[in-house]
Amino acid sequence: MPGDRIVRDLDGLSVGIFNVHGRFYALHNRCPHRGGALCRGPVTGTALPTSDFEFVYGREGEILRCAWHGWEFDIATGHSLVDPRIRAKTYPVEVADGDVYVVI
Amino acid sequence: MIDCDVHNSWSTSAVLLPYLDPYFRDFLERGELPGGRDSFPHAHRPWLHPEGYMRTDAIPGDGGAPGSDYDLLCEQLLDRYDVEYAILTGDEAVEASTLANPYLASALARASNDWTLEEWTPRDPRLKASLVVAPQDPPGAAAEIRRLGDHPDVVQVLVSSGSERPYGDPFYHPIWEAAAEVGLPVAAHLGAQGGINANPTGCGPPTFFWEGHALLCETGMGHVASLIAHGVFEKFPNLRFTLIECGVAWLGPILWRLDADYKALRKETPWLKRLPSEYAADHIRLTTQPLEQPKDDAHLRAALEAIDGERTLLFATDYPHWDFDDPELVRIPREWRERVFSENARELYGLPVRRDDRAGAAQPVV
Repeated sequence: MPGDRIVRDLDGLSVGIFNVHGRFYALHNRCPHRGGALCRGPVTGTALPTSDFEFVYGREGEILRCAWHGWEFDIATGHSLVDPRIRAKTYPVEVADGDVYVVI
Repeated sequence: MIDCDVHNSWSTSAVLLPYLDPYFRDFLERGELPGGRDSFPHAHRPWLHPEGYMRTDAIPGDGGAPGSDYDLLCEQLLDRYDVEYAILTGDEAVEASTLANPYLASALARASNDWTLEEWTPRDPRLKASLVVAPQDPPGAAAEIRRLGDHPDVVQVLVSSGSERPYGDPFYHPIWEAAAEVGLPVAAHLGAQGGINANPTGCGPPTFFWEGHALLCETGMGHVASLIAHGVFEKFPNLRFTLIECGVAWLGPILWRLDADYKALRKETPWLKRLPSEYAADHIRLTTQPLEQPKDDAHLRAALEAIDGERTLLFATDYPHWDFDDPELVRIPREWRERVFSENARELYGLPVRRDDRAGAAQPVV
């Protein structure tokens, strides 16, 4: 179901698989910041970039916050919202006959 | 050398009387003054310097206040150290920020500015003025910046580091807006830790002068964090903010902490586009005095390199105060000296190169 997430051990690799608005994404369960349990963190929306003192909440369900230090990542791309040069490892996902396959 | 913190002072606040309108003149002539008839209306910090906070050799022959005598200023500072420009920061005037009455505070700041531009800067092309404003009166401060901001001898807007709240607070934005509009950098000078202003340190007032003086860098930390977090430098992209006498070596570690916490909680301040340290590099400047003095020079060097000191530091003596830094002894890396002693300030203040003939009559060459 959209919004669901599972974390699985795949050949010794801990991977989180996320259903975001009906599309599937897989990320390495290891935060590029300090190696925390990235995929155990909350899936949220966030404050969109604004100008002077405006607060606009958006992207509900598209953001993963690391369970340790709370860094925000775009689930679809793995990019950090603060610095896109920092990126969580992502894996291609294929869906066939109702099953989800992660290519590692 | 450009000295970015020189205290020109008065021996009596009565010098301000000609510059006050009759309503506010009454406050000085007949009103209560905190330290007797010659004193300046302000609330004092709750700890006192046991020796007075002045160089005792800077007392003029007439017994007046150190910093009040132009000839002695020339002898002890401008001529002696071949000063190209001295950025005047006044002495007691910034303490108007401690007063509860914002209208009186602004009136005193205006009078002090007129006095400086009448009695000091016309005497010597080496002297440049800071425009003192009362931060507890943002509309009055902004009006003062627009009144005198384009005066050729005014090079910056000056507030005290003591304040009611951190300077990024939107309460103060009209002041920064006016400064950005007239193209003047802003500086906060250490001081004014009394009256309406918040506690000078996080855990309450210190007890002894030396204890407190060493800790007052805390106010600088709070202002840097607040200015950046509130997006002042996104809102006013040409604004630069200098901390005067607030210390130097702490800035690197504070920026490391701010960067780390911002990365986790970016959502609180979605108007920011860059890391706190990146805003600081472009917008925050620091005067050097009193430069920290670790036993090992390498430790100081590392702290200064962490903030790209070659580009962010402005040399200052703090003449005639007790913790004066001698430009011939201060430990600025040799290869940085041209920038730190002159060029950083020249860029910040837009000052032309002067050919110094020591007679005070030099002509600008650019």
